[in-house]
Amino acid sequence: MVATDEELVARSMAGDSESFNQLVLRWERPIYALAYRVIGRDEDARDVCQDTFLRAFRALPGFKGQAKFSSWLYRIALNLCRDWIRRKKRTPLVDLPEGTDLGDMAADQGPAESIEDLVARREMSGLVAEGMQRLPEEQRTAIILKEFHGLTFQEIAELQGCPLSTVKTRLYQGLGVLRRHLESQGMTGLYGGRAS
Amino acid sequence: MTETFRCDDKDTLIAFLYHEIDPPLRDAVEAHVRTCAACTDELAALSGVRLGLAAWAPPQPELGFTMVSTRAADAAARPAATVVSAANGWTQVPIWAQAVAAVLVLAVAAGVANVQVRSGPDGVVLTTGWMSAPGVTHAATAVAAVAPGTENWKPALAALESQLRDEIRAARPAPAASMRAATVTGGDEGTITRVQVLLDESEGRQRRELALRLTQLNRDMDIQRRADLVRIEQGFGQIEGRTGAEIARQRQLVNYLMRVSAPQQ
Repeated sequence: MVATDEELVARSMAGDSESFNQLVLRWERPIYALAYRVIGRDEDARDVCQDTFLRAFRALPGFKGQAKFSSWLYRIALNLCRDWIRRKKRTPLVDLPEGTDLGDMAADQGPAESIEDLVARREMSGLVAEGMQRLPEEQRTAIILKEFHGLTFQEIAELQGCPLSTVKTRLYQGLGVLRRHLESQGMTGLYGGRAS
Repeated sequence: MTETFRCDDKDTLIAFLYHEIDPPLRDAVEAHVRTCAACTDELAALSGVRLGLAAWAPPQPELGFTMVSTRAADAAARPAATVVSAANGWTQVPIWAQAVAAVLVLAVAAGVANVQVRSGPDGVVLTTGWMSAPGVTHAATAVAAVAPGTENWKPALAALESQLRDEIRAARPAPAASMRAATVTGGDEGTITRVQVLLDESEGRQRRELALRLTQLNRDMDIQRRADLVRIEQGFGQIEGRTGAEIARQRQLVNYLMRVSAPQQ
């Protein structure tokens, strides 16, 4: 039977580092994906991911379990992302070096996906990344947490420290900006492809 | 009470979009959308944006972070991506570095405490004190007497210190395997940062190289696949052609046999 996060946390707090490693294994990909989408750089996202687990391990004795372990991790990761953005004093750049993304996507693609589909998906991915780059950090984070991590409005509000209605407004405004960006690039009616 | 929905209620529209809405309000939005083209269009566009977002995939790097106990950690065998526990960072400093630190602390302390060492008829006399006069040996806070045969220990200590300094200088480019551990323990941050930058650049180059190779491989495989498909189709065509000719020949043979075996009229 698979142990729950709470069980693994309890064992980790009792000194079982292997249990903590299981938590790391379970959550490293979501945390990396969150960091990558927020700050847009692979190497820095890895560093943020690593620091997140290091901080979590150090702070584990203080974790009282009022929030879910995942929410606690997300909070640490988002704080680190915010620190990174502040330190760099710039808008996060979406790192889409020529070839890298295509290679990663090629590894992901199903057997039925043609090269044309792959290229179209890559193009859409690049456009979305560009659009997300234009959003204020709060809107971008709200969209990422909702779309890719399935958090509820309430959980996002708690992570961002704002009212529930603010989260909805951020989502609406962020999606609106993205919509206009995609339309300006010729992606319409989704978005069945680039308009001729 | 009947719920109502207005076009300018964007919070509710977003709640409806993400299916995070109370059922009565959801019914009200559905009823409204059936009659309002603007809201229908907006919902379709927002859903489209969500579809586009699904294409935004992060890379899939090998992460493999693990928590390594400081005692069990074997720096040589440690993987590149390692979260190292910093519970007792001092134990991660090499022994020689600890020895150097101890010598330096002693040297600084000796300087601060105005230590004086004199050799006399009673052996070597160690004197400390801020204002101690050259002749006042009894005012010292600590006096140590050692055997006359070991009085050359100070030059030996200085030589050892010099040797250790040389070793530190020589060993300054830290090995890559212990880099991340050193990051955690707060060692020579400048060197670590430089090594980190070099490693990151190297990783980036390797990743781009790998991605390029994957792309080429993917392209080659696709071309090969298409070529194979064409070849298979041609093969099928030839087989079909041969089979058709064979059938025609068989039919002719059967017709001929029928004709010759039929009774002559």
